[in-house]
Amino acid sequence: MNVEDSPMDPGLCGENAAPYVLGALTEEEHEAFCGHLDSCAVCREEVAALQVVASVLPAIAPQRSAPGQLKRNVMASVREDARREEELGHHMTAATRTRTRFARRSQLAWPSWRPLLAAGALATVVAVVAIAIASGGGGASTRVIRAEATPRGADASLHVSDGRAQLDVSGMPQTPPQRVYEVWVKRSGAPQPTDALFTVTAHGDATVGVPGSVRGVKVIMVTSEPLGGSKAPTTSPVIIARL
Amino acid sequence: MFNPLRPDGGSGSTERLRVLADEELMQLVYRSSADAFEVIYDRHADAAFSLAYRMCAQRALAEDVVQESFLSLWRSRARYDRGRGSVRTWVLGIVHNRAIDALRRRTVRDKGIVNDEGLEERVAAPERTELDVARREEAREIRHALDELPGEQSKVIELAYFGGMTHVQIASMLDTPVGTIKGRMRLGLAKMRMALGDPTEMVQ
Repeated sequence: MNVEDSPMDPGLCGENAAPYVLGALTEEEHEAFCGHLDSCAVCREEVAALQVVASVLPAIAPQRSAPGQLKRNVMASVREDARREEELGHHMTAATRTRTRFARRSQLAWPSWRPLLAAGALATVVAVVAIAIASGGGGASTRVIRAEATPRGADASLHVSDGRAQLDVSGMPQTPPQRVYEVWVKRSGAPQPTDALFTVTAHGDATVGVPGSVRGVKVIMVTSEPLGGSKAPTTSPVIIARL
Repeated sequence: MFNPLRPDGGSGSTERLRVLADEELMQLVYRSSADAFEVIYDRHADAAFSLAYRMCAQRALAEDVVQESFLSLWRSRARYDRGRGSVRTWVLGIVHNRAIDALRRRTVRDKGIVNDEGLEERVAAPERTELDVARREEAREIRHALDELPGEQSKVIELAYFGGMTHVQIASMLDTPVGTIKGRMRLGLAKMRMALGDPTEMVQ
């Protein structure tokens, strides 16, 4: 039988393993499949077998030299981070936890989530303003959502366009040593971690892309977490954007 | 005295770190050594930029992806788990995911930007070391394994991995059922694995 003419039964395990390792699942499928991997040894084995091939595909991209300015930009930020940590005389501790993931989003279950709006968590002005801004004739529009931010003087806005979001913050306090800001997305249930970890400039500014699609996301939030991020929020949110 | 954990590392510290393996460097990176991270950057930035450029086909976007990826790597360095693969695999995996996000984040207006792939002369890194030579030979093997696949299988793999397209988009573009697209992806990857022996043994 020609397998090409006989697509796999959608109910069979493993059918999403190949598009998963190639990054070709839709956001919704990706989330569902990551959850499925938690409990399915067959699919984990299939993913492991195919992942080794996907991981060598970058080798066939035409090789280029990275621009020198790129290194200067990256290392300037890295050294600024390192210098700040050094100046404050702290060293990374074992408190930083390693999070294992299959890919962009966690495949792990999230054990608990404290109520988002714990009493006193946010002593800030809440202003949720959605403004539709024409994008300049391209047909897509950008929705700007002003987020709740703390402390006073801090400001955060979420720019949503075509299912993608970017968070702009200003006036935020710098994170303590060994800590970073972590972006979370919440659809239903517990908030999910993202790979978006960031620090702010000396002026408290930062711009960070929210990984993945935000379709179906109800809340995007930011917490202060140990360097390396956390599996579940360990502090109250300092930024909350309601979509 | 040489101290890799000092932000400046001391004179010539980066050069001394270059003799260390990636995994050894990551132990220093974990402890906030910017010098060790610089060595990691130097080793993998060309591959990262090459992948990003192949996917984005725009120099500026590729640069954004690589910069964002390396800063993410630095700030999430505690997440590196050597049990899940090499540092290079970790780096390129993050670049791939970031490039997919960038491609899918582009607005309709952005998509009107002319790709500059092909407009600029490719600047291939010179073969400087035996490792470079080995990598290029392996790249030829991987390319050959992909080219040996039936066209419909290699096409869906390239559209997905390098084009950042979902299987649904590919199915629509090729006017083919999604199940067939998934099957082609799986068959193609499985055949490549057989052709390449044990890809985990590669120096990539």
